[in-house]
Amino acid sequence: MATFELYRRSTIGMCLTETLDEMVSNGTLSPELAIQVLVQFDKSMTEALESQVKSKVAIKGHLHTYRFCDNVWTFILQDAVFKYEDASETVGRVKIVACDSKLLSQ
Amino acid sequence: MADSESGISNQVLEPSSTHPLGSPLVPTLQNVVSTVNLGCKLDLKFIALHARNSEYNPKRFAAVIMRIKEPKTTALIFSSGKIVCTGAKTEQQSLLAARKFARIIQKIGFDIQFKDFKIQNIVASCNMKFPISLVQLAAFHGKFTIYEPELFPGLIYRMKTPKVAILVFPSGNIVIAGAQKRDHIFQAFENIYPVLTSFKRNYK
Repeated sequence: MATFELYRRSTIGMCLTETLDEMVSNGTLSPELAIQVLVQFDKSMTEALESQVKSKVAIKGHLHTYRFCDNVWTFILQDAVFKYEDASETVGRVKIVACDSKLLSQ
Repeated sequence: MADSESGISNQVLEPSSTHPLGSPLVPTLQNVVSTVNLGCKLDLKFIALHARNSEYNPKRFAAVIMRIKEPKTTALIFSSGKIVCTGAKTEQQSLLAARKFARIIQKIGFDIQFKDFKIQNIVASCNMKFPISLVQLAAFHGKFTIYEPELFPGLIYRMKTPKVAILVFPSGNIVIAGAQKRDHIFQAFENIYPVLTSFKRNYK
Protein backbone atom coordinates (compact mmCIF):
# COMPACT_ATOMS: atom_id res chain seq x y z
CA MET A 1 0.00 0.00 0.00
CA ALA A 2 1.26 3.42 -0.92
CA THR A 3 1.39 6.08 1.75
CA PHE A 4 1.56 9.86 1.98
CA GLU A 5 4.30 11.42 4.04
CA LEU A 6 1.98 14.38 4.48
CA TYR A 7 1.33 13.87 8.20
CA ARG A 8 5.00 13.82 9.21
CA ARG A 9 4.95 17.60 9.38
CA SER A 10 2.05 17.62 11.85
CA THR A 11 2.80 18.20 15.53
CA ILE A 12 2.48 14.50 16.33
CA GLY A 13 4.61 13.55 13.33
CA MET A 14 7.33 16.09 14.20
CA CYS A 15 7.42 14.80 17.80
CA LEU A 16 7.77 11.22 16.59
CA THR A 17 10.55 12.18 14.17
CA GLU A 18 12.35 14.06 16.93
CA THR A 19 12.15 11.11 19.31
CA LEU A 20 13.31 8.67 16.65
CA ASP A 21 16.24 10.97 15.79
CA GLU A 22 17.22 11.02 19.44
CA MET A 23 16.98 7.26 19.76
CA VAL A 24 19.02 6.73 16.61
CA SER A 25 21.79 9.07 17.80
CA ASN A 26 21.73 7.34 21.21
CA GLY A 27 22.17 4.04 19.50
CA THR A 28 18.99 2.58 20.99
CA LEU A 29 17.42 2.28 17.54
CA SER A 30 18.84 1.41 14.14
CA PRO A 31 18.17 3.96 11.38
CA GLU A 32 16.42 1.26 9.33
CA LEU A 33 13.98 0.57 12.14
CA ALA A 34 13.34 4.31 12.59
CA ILE A 35 12.40 4.59 8.90
CA GLN A 36 10.11 1.60 9.30
CA VAL A 37 8.39 3.29 12.24
CA LEU A 38 7.83 6.42 10.15
CA VAL A 39 6.34 4.41 7.29
CA GLN A 40 4.03 2.70 9.80
CA PHE A 41 3.13 6.14 11.14
CA ASP A 42 2.12 7.23 7.61
CA LYS A 43 -0.13 4.18 7.26
CA SER A 44 -1.63 4.49 10.72
CA MET A 45 -2.41 8.18 10.31
CA THR A 46 -4.22 7.54 7.03
CA GLU A 47 -6.17 4.65 8.54
CA ALA A 48 -7.02 6.50 11.72
CA LEU A 49 -8.26 9.59 9.89
CA GLU A 50 -10.36 7.38 7.67
CA SER A 51 -11.94 5.13 10.31
CA GLN A 52 -11.80 6.90 13.65
CA VAL A 53 -12.46 10.54 12.87
CA LYS A 54 -16.12 11.30 12.39
CA SER A 55 -16.18 15.07 12.94
CA LYS A 56 -16.44 17.40 10.00
CA VAL A 57 -14.97 20.86 9.63
CA ALA A 58 -15.98 23.47 7.08
CA ILE A 59 -13.30 25.96 6.08
CA LYS A 60 -14.27 29.17 4.34
CA GLY A 61 -11.95 32.02 3.46
CA HIS A 62 -10.49 34.23 0.77
CA LEU A 63 -8.39 32.18 -1.64
CA HIS A 64 -5.06 33.98 -1.90
CA THR A 65 -3.11 31.39 -3.86
CA TYR A 66 -3.70 27.96 -5.30
CA ARG A 67 -1.51 25.38 -6.98
CA PHE A 68 -2.02 21.94 -8.45
CA CYS A 69 1.10 19.98 -9.25
CA ASP A 70 1.94 16.27 -8.93
CA ASN A 71 -1.65 15.57 -7.86
CA VAL A 72 -1.30 17.78 -4.80
CA TRP A 73 -3.51 20.81 -4.27
CA THR A 74 -2.06 23.65 -2.24
CA PHE A 75 -4.28 26.49 -1.08
CA ILE A 76 -3.40 29.57 0.92
CA LEU A 77 -6.45 31.12 2.53
CA GLN A 78 -6.73 34.48 4.22
CA ASP A 79 -9.13 35.18 7.06
CA ALA A 80 -10.41 31.65 7.03
CA VAL A 81 -13.29 30.61 9.26
CA PHE A 82 -13.15 27.05 10.62
CA LYS A 83 -16.62 25.83 11.49
CA TYR A 84 -17.16 22.64 13.47
CA GLU A 85 -20.33 21.44 15.16
CA ASP A 86 -21.40 24.70 16.79
CA ALA A 87 -18.12 26.52 17.28
CA SER A 88 -16.10 28.54 14.81
CA GLU A 89 -12.69 30.13 14.76
CA THR A 90 -11.07 32.67 12.46
CA VAL A 91 -7.47 32.27 11.34
CA GLY A 92 -5.54 34.96 9.47
CA ARG A 93 -3.60 32.69 7.14
CA VAL A 94 -4.05 29.00 6.44
CA LYS A 95 -2.15 26.70 4.13
CA ILE A 96 -4.02 23.62 3.00
CA VAL A 97 -2.18 20.74 1.39
CA ALA A 98 -4.44 18.07 -0.03
CA CYS A 99 -3.72 14.78 -1.76
CA ASP A 100 -6.10 12.51 -3.60
CA SER A 101 -6.85 9.54 -1.35
CA LYS A 102 -7.87 7.52 -4.41
CA LEU A 103 -4.17 7.35 -5.29
CA LEU A 104 -3.58 5.28 -2.12
CA SER A 105 -5.71 2.38 -3.26
CA GLN A 106 -3.88 2.09 -6.57
CA MET B 1 12.16 41.12 -23.17
CA ALA B 2 12.49 42.38 -26.70
CA ASP B 3 9.29 44.37 -26.90
CA SER B 4 10.00 45.89 -30.26
CA GLU B 5 10.03 42.42 -31.78
CA SER B 6 6.41 41.84 -30.89
CA GLY B 7 5.53 44.17 -33.73
CA ILE B 8 2.62 45.65 -31.82
CA SER B 9 2.30 49.33 -32.27
CA ASN B 10 -0.19 51.02 -29.99
CA GLN B 11 -2.12 52.08 -33.01
CA VAL B 12 -3.14 48.53 -33.79
CA LEU B 13 -4.71 48.21 -30.38
CA GLU B 14 -6.34 51.60 -30.15
CA PRO B 15 -10.07 51.23 -29.76
CA SER B 16 -11.80 52.13 -32.94
CA SER B 17 -14.22 55.02 -33.03
CA THR B 18 -16.40 53.37 -35.64
CA HIS B 19 -19.77 52.45 -34.27
CA PRO B 20 -22.70 50.96 -36.07
CA LEU B 21 -24.51 53.87 -37.63
CA GLY B 22 -27.86 52.30 -38.16
CA SER B 23 -28.47 51.30 -34.56
CA PRO B 24 -28.32 52.78 -31.11
CA LEU B 25 -26.77 49.52 -29.89
CA VAL B 26 -23.12 48.60 -29.68
CA PRO B 27 -21.87 45.04 -29.09
CA THR B 28 -19.87 44.66 -25.85
CA LEU B 29 -16.55 42.86 -26.01
CA GLN B 30 -16.68 39.80 -23.75
CA ASN B 31 -13.51 37.87 -24.45
CA VAL B 32 -10.22 38.43 -26.25
CA VAL B 33 -7.88 35.52 -26.97
CA SER B 34 -4.25 36.15 -27.87
CA THR B 35 -1.12 34.11 -28.39
CA VAL B 36 2.53 34.91 -27.92
CA ASN B 37 5.76 33.00 -28.35
CA LEU B 38 8.38 33.21 -25.60
CA GLY B 39 10.96 31.69 -27.93
CA CYS B 40 12.36 29.10 -25.52
CA LYS B 41 11.48 25.67 -24.21
CA LEU B 42 9.76 25.71 -20.82
CA ASP B 43 9.91 23.24 -17.94
CA LEU B 44 6.22 23.15 -17.05
CA LYS B 45 6.61 21.32 -13.75
CA PHE B 46 9.16 23.86 -12.64
CA ILE B 47 6.77 26.67 -13.55
CA ALA B 48 3.83 25.02 -11.75
CA LEU B 49 5.94 24.63 -8.61
CA HIS B 50 7.34 28.14 -8.61
CA ALA B 51 4.44 30.28 -9.78
CA ARG B 52 1.27 31.00 -7.86
CA ASN B 53 -2.21 30.17 -9.06
CA SER B 54 -1.13 27.50 -11.47
CA GLU B 55 -2.40 24.04 -12.29
CA TYR B 56 -0.45 21.35 -14.06
CA ASN B 57 -1.96 17.93 -14.62
CA PRO B 58 -0.08 16.40 -17.58
CA LYS B 59 -2.43 13.39 -17.58
CA ARG B 60 -5.33 15.65 -18.50
CA PHE B 61 -3.77 18.55 -20.38
CA ALA B 62 -0.21 19.20 -21.53
CA ALA B 63 -0.07 22.81 -20.38
CA VAL B 64 0.19 24.83 -17.20
CA ILE B 65 -3.02 26.76 -16.52
CA MET B 66 -2.17 30.01 -14.78
CA ARG B 67 -4.43 32.87 -13.71
CA ILE B 68 -3.82 36.47 -12.75
CA LYS B 69 -6.29 38.84 -11.14
CA GLU B 70 -5.51 42.05 -12.97
CA PRO B 71 -6.44 41.93 -15.82
CA LYS B 72 -8.56 38.91 -14.86
CA THR B 73 -7.21 36.38 -17.37
CA THR B 74 -6.15 32.78 -17.75
CA ALA B 75 -3.10 31.60 -19.64
CA LEU B 76 -2.28 28.22 -21.10
CA ILE B 77 1.48 27.81 -21.02
CA PHE B 78 2.95 25.11 -23.26
CA SER B 79 6.39 23.53 -23.06
CA SER B 80 7.13 24.80 -26.57
CA GLY B 81 7.21 28.30 -25.11
CA LYS B 82 3.91 29.35 -26.61
CA ILE B 83 1.24 30.99 -24.47
CA VAL B 84 -2.47 31.38 -25.08
CA CYS B 85 -4.03 34.18 -23.06
CA THR B 86 -7.80 34.24 -22.64
CA GLY B 87 -10.44 36.16 -20.75
CA ALA B 88 -9.38 39.75 -21.36
CA LYS B 89 -12.08 42.27 -22.21
CA THR B 90 -10.01 44.38 -24.60
CA GLU B 91 -7.03 43.93 -26.92
CA GLN B 92 -4.87 46.19 -24.73
CA GLN B 93 -5.77 44.17 -21.64
CA SER B 94 -4.94 40.95 -23.48
CA LEU B 95 -1.51 42.36 -24.42
CA LEU B 96 -0.93 43.57 -20.87
CA ALA B 97 -1.94 40.19 -19.45
CA ALA B 98 0.30 38.33 -21.92
CA ARG B 99 3.19 40.57 -20.87
CA LYS B 100 2.45 39.87 -17.20
CA PHE B 101 2.45 36.11 -17.78
CA ALA B 102 5.71 36.43 -19.72
CA ARG B 103 7.17 38.46 -16.85
CA ILE B 104 6.16 35.81 -14.30
CA ILE B 105 7.90 33.13 -16.35
CA GLN B 106 10.92 35.37 -16.81
CA LYS B 107 11.14 35.97 -13.04
CA ILE B 108 11.09 32.21 -12.42
CA GLY B 109 14.31 32.09 -14.42
CA PHE B 110 13.65 31.46 -18.09
CA ASP B 111 15.45 33.41 -20.79
CA ILE B 112 12.43 34.55 -22.71
CA GLN B 113 11.52 36.83 -25.59
CA PHE B 114 8.11 38.28 -26.38
CA LYS B 115 7.48 37.66 -30.04
CA ASP B 116 4.65 37.12 -32.52
CA PHE B 117 1.96 38.52 -30.22
CA LYS B 118 -1.32 38.14 -32.02
CA ILE B 119 -4.98 38.64 -31.22
CA GLN B 120 -6.60 35.37 -32.31
CA ASN B 121 -10.23 35.84 -31.45
CA ILE B 122 -12.57 38.54 -30.22
CA VAL B 123 -16.02 37.72 -28.91
CA ALA B 124 -18.73 40.30 -28.36
CA SER B 125 -22.36 40.13 -27.40
CA CYS B 126 -25.38 42.36 -27.66
CA ASN B 127 -29.07 42.35 -26.86
CA MET B 128 -31.29 43.51 -29.71
CA LYS B 129 -34.16 44.18 -27.28
CA PHE B 130 -36.70 42.41 -29.52
CA PRO B 131 -37.39 38.72 -30.16
CA ILE B 132 -36.22 37.24 -33.46
CA SER B 133 -37.84 34.58 -35.61
CA LEU B 134 -34.99 32.17 -36.28
CA VAL B 135 -37.11 29.95 -38.50
CA GLN B 136 -37.76 32.79 -40.94
CA LEU B 137 -34.20 34.05 -40.76
CA ALA B 138 -32.97 30.55 -41.61
CA ALA B 139 -35.47 30.29 -44.47
CA PHE B 140 -34.34 33.54 -46.12
CA HIS B 141 -30.60 33.29 -45.42
CA GLY B 142 -30.16 29.54 -45.87
CA LYS B 143 -26.77 29.97 -47.52
CA PHE B 144 -25.22 31.52 -44.44
CA THR B 145 -27.17 29.96 -41.62
CA ILE B 146 -27.33 26.77 -39.65
CA TYR B 147 -30.38 26.36 -37.44
CA GLU B 148 -30.93 23.04 -35.72
CA PRO B 149 -33.12 23.80 -32.70
CA GLU B 150 -32.95 20.16 -31.62
CA LEU B 151 -29.18 20.39 -31.35
CA PHE B 152 -28.64 24.01 -30.31
CA PRO B 153 -31.25 26.68 -29.57
CA GLY B 154 -29.34 29.41 -31.41
CA LEU B 155 -28.97 30.10 -35.10
CA ILE B 156 -25.42 30.23 -36.45
CA TYR B 157 -24.89 32.87 -39.09
CA ARG B 158 -21.57 32.50 -40.88
CA MET B 159 -20.83 35.90 -42.37
CA LYS B 160 -18.40 36.01 -45.32
CA THR B 161 -17.14 39.58 -44.92
CA PRO B 162 -16.02 40.19 -42.29
CA LYS B 163 -15.42 36.48 -41.69
CA VAL B 164 -17.16 35.96 -38.36
CA ALA B 165 -19.77 33.67 -36.86
CA ILE B 166 -22.85 35.19 -35.29
CA LEU B 167 -25.01 33.28 -32.87
CA VAL B 168 -28.57 34.55 -32.87
CA PHE B 169 -30.97 33.53 -30.12
CA PRO B 170 -34.76 33.82 -30.22
CA SER B 171 -34.64 36.17 -27.22
CA GLY B 172 -32.78 38.75 -29.27
CA ASN B 173 -29.40 38.08 -27.70
CA ILE B 174 -26.61 37.80 -30.23
CA VAL B 175 -22.97 36.73 -29.94
CA ILE B 176 -20.36 37.68 -32.53
CA ALA B 177 -17.26 35.47 -32.49
CA GLY B 178 -14.25 34.67 -34.59
CA ALA B 179 -13.18 38.25 -35.28
CA GLN B 180 -9.50 39.13 -35.19
CA LYS B 181 -10.08 42.84 -35.18
CA ARG B 182 -12.49 44.94 -33.16
CA ASP B 183 -13.66 46.62 -36.36
CA HIS B 184 -14.80 43.27 -37.73
CA ILE B 185 -17.18 42.97 -34.77
CA PHE B 186 -18.70 46.38 -35.50
CA GLN B 187 -18.84 45.79 -39.25
CA ALA B 188 -20.51 42.44 -38.71
CA PHE B 189 -22.99 44.06 -36.35
CA GLU B 190 -23.78 46.79 -38.85
CA ASN B 191 -24.34 44.12 -41.50
CA ILE B 192 -26.53 41.92 -39.36
CA TYR B 193 -28.54 44.69 -37.69
CA PRO B 194 -30.95 45.43 -40.59
CA VAL B 195 -31.32 41.69 -41.23
CA LEU B 196 -32.33 41.03 -37.65
CA THR B 197 -34.76 43.96 -37.54
CA SER B 198 -36.51 42.52 -40.59
CA PHE B 199 -36.97 39.22 -38.77
CA LYS B 200 -38.35 40.75 -35.62
CA ARG B 201 -40.93 38.35 -34.28
CA ASN B 202 -44.42 39.77 -34.10
CA TYR B 203 -46.75 38.46 -31.50
CA LYS B 204 -50.17 37.79 -32.88
